Amino acid sequence: MELYKKSAAELSDMLRKKECSAVEIAQSVFSRIEEVENKVDSYLTLCKNEALEKAKLVDKAFADGKELHPLAGIPIGIKDNISTKGIKTTCASKMLENYVPPFNATVVEKINSADMVITGKLNMDEFAMGSSTENSYFKLTKNPHDLERVPGGSSGGSAAAVAAGEAIVSLGSDTGGSIRQPSAFCGVVGLKPTYGSVSRYGLVAFASSLDQIGPLGRTVKDVAMLQSLICGYDRMDATSKEIGSPDFAKELKSNLSGLKIGIPKEYFGDGIDSGVKQSVMNAIKEMEKAGAAVKEISLPSTSYALNSYYIISSAEASSNLARFDGVKYGYRTPEYENLIDMYEKTRSEGFGDEVKRRIMLGTFVLSSGYYDAYYKKAKLLQKKISGEFSAAFENVDIIATPTVPSTAFKIGENIGDPIKMYTADICTVTINIAGLPAISVPCGFENNLPVGMQLIGNKFEEQTLLNAAFGYEQLVGGFKCLPEIV
Amino acid sequence: MKIDIKHIAKLARLRIDEQKFEKFEKDMQSIVDMIENLPDINEELALDKENPMALRKDKAVTNKFTREELLKNAPQVQAGCLVVPKTVE
Amino acid sequence: MNDYEVVIGLEVHAELNTESKIYCDCKNAFGLEVNTQVCPVCMGMPGALPTLNEKVVEYAIKMGHALNCKINNVCKQDRKNYFYPDLPKAYQISQSDVPLCQNGYLDVMIDGKIKRIGITRIHIEEDAGKLLHDDAFAGSLVDLNRCGVPLIEIVSEPDMRSSAEAKAYLDTIKSILQYLDISDCKMQEGSIRCDVNVSVHKKGEPFGTRCEMKNVNSFSAAVRAIDYEAKRQIELLEAGGTVEQETRRWDDAKGISITMRSKEDAQDYRYFPEPDLLTIVVDESKVRELKESLPELPNAKIARYVNDFGLPQNDAALIVDVPEKAKLFDECIKVGGCSPKIISNWILGDISKYMNETGKSISETHLSAERLAKLFSVIEKGVISNAAGKIVFEAIISEDKDPMDVIKEKNLAQNSDADYLEKLARDVLAQNEKSVTDYKNGKTNALGFLVGQCMKASQGKANPGMMKEIVLKMLSE
Ligand SMILES: [Mg+2]
Ligand SMILES: [Zn+2]
Repeated sequence: MELYKKSAAELSDMLRKKECSAVEIAQSVFSRIEEVENKVDSYLTLCKNEALEKAKLVDKAFADGKELHPLAGIPIGIKDNISTKGIKTTCASKMLENYVPPFNATVVEKINSADMVITGKLNMDEFAMGSSTENSYFKLTKNPHDLERVPGGSSGGSAAAVAAGEAIVSLGSDTGGSIRQPSAFCGVVGLKPTYGSVSRYGLVAFASSLDQIGPLGRTVKDVAMLQSLICGYDRMDATSKEIGSPDFAKELKSNLSGLKIGIPKEYFGDGIDSGVKQSVMNAIKEMEKAGAAVKEISLPSTSYALNSYYIISSAEASSNLARFDGVKYGYRTPEYENLIDMYEKTRSEGFGDEVKRRIMLGTFVLSSGYYDAYYKKAKLLQKKISGEFSAAFENVDIIATPTVPSTAFKIGENIGDPIKMYTADICTVTINIAGLPAISVPCGFENNLPVGMQLIGNKFEEQTLLNAAFGYEQLVGGFKCLPEIV
Repeated sequence: MKIDIKHIAKLARLRIDEQKFEKFEKDMQSIVDMIENLPDINEELALDKENPMALRKDKAVTNKFTREELLKNAPQVQAGCLVVPKTVE
Repeated sequence: MNDYEVVIGLEVHAELNTESKIYCDCKNAFGLEVNTQVCPVCMGMPGALPTLNEKVVEYAIKMGHALNCKINNVCKQDRKNYFYPDLPKAYQISQSDVPLCQNGYLDVMIDGKIKRIGITRIHIEEDAGKLLHDDAFAGSLVDLNRCGVPLIEIVSEPDMRSSAEAKAYLDTIKSILQYLDISDCKMQEGSIRCDVNVSVHKKGEPFGTRCEMKNVNSFSAAVRAIDYEAKRQIELLEAGGTVEQETRRWDDAKGISITMRSKEDAQDYRYFPEPDLLTIVVDESKVRELKESLPELPNAKIARYVNDFGLPQNDAALIVDVPEKAKLFDECIKVGGCSPKIISNWILGDISKYMNETGKSISETHLSAERLAKLFSVIEKGVISNAAGKIVFEAIISEDKDPMDVIKEKNLAQNSDADYLEKLARDVLAQNEKSVTDYKNGKTNALGFLVGQCMKASQGKANPGMMKEIVLKMLSE
């Protein structure tokens, strides 16, 4: 039985019906990893022994008749910027090559207390900066749909592992599209939750005011289950919000009738591949046929979102990454003459080029005399953009757009052209700027490569969003997430 | 706006390789040119009063971590302290 | 030199005596083993996040009220970015454009006159760690225990015109912190420190260029640093030079300041709003409540002691300077039965002496306002002599006894029996005929000797007032 192909929801049922054991599930996933990991390269660290130990404990607990969390025994991969106590957390950087956190991120605590089985730590762009996972210091992750193409990024490992059957579900982080864009490229489902709904404690910060941890899976229900587990107020994160303990999976409804979908014209203009545009429009038409009401809307300030995003995220990153100085943890240059020399060599040798560019940009926009022209203006535009979305949500329930303007590009194709790389984030960054939840779902293929549709919800309306995604998933009879890996 | 790479690198405690400098400078300048495209807004940035945070109760918790655990990742440790190049002559 | 005016502004950093640190729940404690009072948050571990301690906000607002500030009950925190090994995150969480308190003032008593000094702002921020240097080590050692200890920074307007004024300002600030019980104010532990801004200009001309001096670790050092810096600047100007705006480091051991960095090297801190924390919003009612909770502040206390109890200004100030002494004074007044004067004399005399010599505080002894007031009352009524009072005082400090019991036990009550005293005087005069003759021949100081002899004969128990009167009467017979 190829258990790795099942969804978390299916496996959860099977465990309870004693149709399989947690150890069998873990073994299936790890044999799949052995089979394809050398082609996909989605993991930085594997935790096979710990995973099997945990699976044994889960089986014992079931045998003892204990009631466990619905996700107990389900294998999960974790992006390598989420702190795991006793397990290396490298952020795919030379800077943290040997860093082992002394504490767990709050989401990891939740995963442990739900008895999920951690398979390992997943590759990413260094410090989550990038859209292709090519900025990893350690390895290139390949798109399971086409091994010559990137999986997207920065949570490329998280998306590729789920698409390749190397994990049932995974956690990623999304600062400007880092969950949704690789989900679109790899043909899986990925949710970027509302800012403040999932604790960031233990997530190595890229841009604190935009970062959010979120779930990836092969079905909407799996994503809903995992989101229910990880969300909620955390007293360790001052930006987290009290939202109760919703059970999104239990409340899922597939009825699309009466759902008001907004189509912002700014997201369907030039710069979006016609094939992508077509796939997304077809998906929206399907939903309309199923009873959804579609209306065109306008979000005029969107054109400034990309610039605001790069200003705000880089400013915060320049400050967040200043702590990597070779004193308390991480890389330190072997030879140095004095303190300043140690700082400069350590940081120059420890960070890759993309990270350096963001730190430089952020330092520049905050530096004396430039604050008002860049940072302050970007923050003012952020308010404006938020306002436009709030107004739009008075008339619609969700907003549908392409997740990415194109399908997965070839490895190396965009490297060395930061502007081209940055502008590809155009559809996703706005959502982080506005602090909204958004999900990417597969909506067909273009030249055998997956296309993603982004559904955007109002703040803390994850249920509405997941219902819409679930409705679409049922409409198309489920997503074909597991490609043949050749 | 022209970006002074050397000055910014100094502030950020970074050094840019001599061989890569030209390309780096060119890339940075094109990024700065890109983000500069913002409309003028003559407004003050108001505090987000509607979005306050909960404050923490003043309660100390001891023995959460051992010193050993916390210094385990440090590049150089001596006498229970982190070691850095001398900061005074 | 006399044509010049010195302009001084001060930035005082005071550590708050909360139980936990400002952004994490580590213990806020001094003097413990290196790197034992730390956690991922105050060590700046990747992924760790700050949470703001509510007591820090409350304490700062209290200080704001005490210094007559406007309280910004909606404010935020900002990051101040710079690299240094004692700053693990490479930024200090502080406040920039919107401090918690601003636009206040403090009235300071200088030479018996009140001088009003403007308070620009008070903000909250975190302390940094400590660097340890020793020839035994090739490098410097970093102890992060102090990282995240809560600080308030109190910034004054450049309203002081001499080091004496600055000293008076600092003493008053310290006293207020103690009355509010929000800081230990232990100079030797560095719990209160200041940066000093000094400029000089010729009278009637605009202000000169200012220099900032860092590393001033005591108030007496502040006086020395100001005097040194004013002299340096005046000499520079007199020699035809100009004062450059710069940051200087005060070396108190050598008594000099040296350039730390010039204006060109000024740090670019790249302040921006702390994204890990949301807006600080304190209910207006809470702000009011904190104002109402303020204790009587030192200036008001001194005025009350002078106006209501007739204490000399200086004595009042000396008592008020130590909150524990003022508390004792107030409590003795409340118990009553004795005059404010005798309470003040004893507090500034034997009680202060005892505290200085033993380093103990009043609460560590068996002294209480009830016992002391009783003691003062019996002294004033003449039940015991002042000298006997000291014996009683010694006893009640160490032995946990009631003063009346001590008097009884040690048989210290004064003898005021006129017949007994007259007999005593007659005997002493008879035995000291020479002194009697001397007195009658105009050597009036013989009186003191004779009274002294009488007191001695009574073993100190004779009522000294009555004794003197009786001796005088007999001598004039
Ligand atoms: Mg300060
Ligand atoms: Zn701590």
